[in-house]
Amino acid sequence: MSRVSENSSSAALNFSLGKAKSKLEDLQMKGSTLKDISRPSDNPISNVEALSITSNMSDNKQYQRNADYALLHLNVTENSLEQLTDLLVKAKEIAISQSSDFYNADVRKNIANEVNQLRNLALSIANKRVGQKYIFSGYSTLTQPFDVSGKYNGDTGHTTVEVAKDFFLPLNLNGKEIFFSADDTSDKNTNPLKEIKQLENGETIENKRDLASTEGEKLHKRDNIFAQLESLSVALETNDAPLIQNLLEEFDDSISRLITLRTRVGSITSSVTNSKSRLESENIEGATRKSKLIDADIAEVFSDITKHQAVLKTTYKSSQGLMNQNLMDFLR
Amino acid sequence: MSDLLNIGRTGLNASKKSLETTGHNISNVNTEGYSRQRVNQTTNSPITKGGTVHGTGVRIKSVTRINDDFVNKRLEKAISNGEFFEQRMERMTQVEDIFNDLDSDGLNQVINKFFNSFRELANQPENETIRSVVRDQANLVVQDFRRIQDNLNSISSGIDENMKAEVTDINQTLEHIANLNKKIQSLEAIHEEVGDLRDQRDLAVRNLAKSFNVHTYQDNKGQFVVAARGVGTLVTATQVQRLQIGTSNKENSTNGLPGSADIFFEGKPAHLLTRKFQGGSLASLAKVRNEEIVAIKNKVDTIAYNLTKSVNAIHRRGYVNRNLDVNEQGSVSSIDSKGPTTGINFFKEPTGPGDAAINMSLSTAVQEDLTNIVTALGPNSPGDNRVSLAISKIQHERIVGDGEGQATLEEFYLQAVGKIGLEAGKAKLDAEQADGLTAQAVSIRERLVGVSIDEEAANMVKYQHAYQASAKIMQTADEMFKTVIGIKR
Repeated sequence: MSRVSENSSSAALNFSLGKAKSKLEDLQMKGSTLKDISRPSDNPISNVEALSITSNMSDNKQYQRNADYALLHLNVTENSLEQLTDLLVKAKEIAISQSSDFYNADVRKNIANEVNQLRNLALSIANKRVGQKYIFSGYSTLTQPFDVSGKYNGDTGHTTVEVAKDFFLPLNLNGKEIFFSADDTSDKNTNPLKEIKQLENGETIENKRDLASTEGEKLHKRDNIFAQLESLSVALETNDAPLIQNLLEEFDDSISRLITLRTRVGSITSSVTNSKSRLESENIEGATRKSKLIDADIAEVFSDITKHQAVLKTTYKSSQGLMNQNLMDFLR
Repeated sequence: MSDLLNIGRTGLNASKKSLETTGHNISNVNTEGYSRQRVNQTTNSPITKGGTVHGTGVRIKSVTRINDDFVNKRLEKAISNGEFFEQRMERMTQVEDIFNDLDSDGLNQVINKFFNSFRELANQPENETIRSVVRDQANLVVQDFRRIQDNLNSISSGIDENMKAEVTDINQTLEHIANLNKKIQSLEAIHEEVGDLRDQRDLAVRNLAKSFNVHTYQDNKGQFVVAARGVGTLVTATQVQRLQIGTSNKENSTNGLPGSADIFFEGKPAHLLTRKFQGGSLASLAKVRNEEIVAIKNKVDTIAYNLTKSVNAIHRRGYVNRNLDVNEQGSVSSIDSKGPTTGINFFKEPTGPGDAAINMSLSTAVQEDLTNIVTALGPNSPGDNRVSLAISKIQHERIVGDGEGQATLEEFYLQAVGKIGLEAGKAKLDAEQADGLTAQAVSIRERLVGVSIDEEAANMVKYQHAYQASAKIMQTADEMFKTVIGIKR
């Protein structure tokens, strides 16, 4: 038989009361925050995973913002291209109807005015802005890409936007690829970081000057859409039917280039939309997983609370007899 | 017949003494450290009279306390152990609170937002407002690094304060023990009972055990010796070796922290004892301060250093967001009216990984002018976002560590937080377990030496009856005397 002294029994009581109470406190904390872990040590692994999910989700939110921004941009671009195509189709119709000798010089002169109007319209489309930036001037977004003479002042830069982790899409078409005859407009999805990587190997920055404004022969206004419209106008005014006929082919070229570009914009748009919806579902998955990691199982918590309240009550009850009575009470 | 009276008297005495001891026990039932006392009584030496041996009653041999040194040592050990983990849990909880990102915007979120602000800037590189958002986010990152380091420093200096208070306590306890030793020695020389003083001394030793692992023994001259394991003798009989604590400045400190108090024997500052203590709160405090806090601080510094370096390396490549003059060769002057046009650092370039977090700040150029936040890889390209994109990609680059252990900033940070969480969780479990063991040791000791009212009540009845019976003997003797005297009449 082990001996029991006053202090040993009260120490035992203290210990069991303390244990029951701290467990209950813990559960009540869970019940009030509805979280299973409220600090890293509660479950280090879940905690770390939850943190990385959180940052993943906020990255995704940013990618969605990027995607929205890209969509806005791409829709404007698409619209502009559509208008331009319509405009060129119209110019081509004029050219076809006027290439025969059916009309006389006077009629042609009048029609020249209409062509001039078309050219003005094309210019305004070319100088389209979203917010403060010109969308068709490459990297020089604050420079008006085309002046009245139709000269291109932008550059060939492609701004890219990250619409999902490591998934970059070109955001803009530059004036060169739209308005000048097609040569190197590849639609390969280039990673914008390649250039930075190269520089890390000690290469110096070469001065980026494949700019159109330095009167490079390629980007001269001679063979752009404005020049074509201008030629048409001149040909009409000078009643030069063979020239008008020659222009037909050029218009066809331009129209087919615009259609190619529109397809490209369309496919980029659908990529953006796809990645956006993928991000959304990813975010839902992330939220589900995070909730599994850190949220408390409410039913379990509350049934545990009830259980532990009962345990505590029993402990109190049992201590009642222990603490208040001893042999003294029974001796007379 | 005088024998009978005498025998009755001895019985009366013994019972009275026993009742006194019972009373002493009951009155000390709640005295901390008290161990119950017991009267040891024996028969008086018999005498031979007329050829027969006669008993002469009872004699009090001694009053001793119930004690078991082994149980005491076990309790001391349990206390040291319990205190070690208790302190560890408390401090680690403080540390982990700094890294509790679940409810609040911790470093991870802040850095995440910082990179995302660069993504936003990449969408509209010509937008001044977003540039200022980027700068604000960067400032938040700087602040958060500073918050973490400040908090770690304050935990460390809090530990210093605790150590100081504890050393003062220890010195007092040591003096107390030496005093008790003196009293016990002089009382034992004249065979007085010293159970109560020994109880007090044991209690003092248990108090010491909270601070470190105590080793106590009687040396061969019978002197009571108190030693701290791993450190050395602190009390020999009445001699005390006091402890002292001193702070050194950051440069000379043993752990590179501003708070770094070290313990040594009084008057011997060259010989540091701080890390020699085993068990107890001193060892626990020193361990958390010199290992855990230092480790996490270095990790945070590493993150700050790598972040700063990588962002700067890319940022320096780009050109400022201003209209720059171009000369005939097509090159751009490297300086304009607002300062350099390229090669600008985003953060102030750190001198080294040490203290990178606390010294982190934006470069003056970026702080002063938003156009110095670079987005373009080439000059005069307001729409070029390649630099911002590249900076935002640092988030997913494995730039920390080398070889196998390479990690992204986030991975590295989360590893560190995970480790803190694990350590804190382990400390919590250890503390719980040690708590249980201490409770068990206390209960074992209390069962053995604690006062039981029930038991004392039974004894009281027993001794009272014995007292009454002895009195009866004396009464009987008295009556016998009367009878004898009455014969003469």
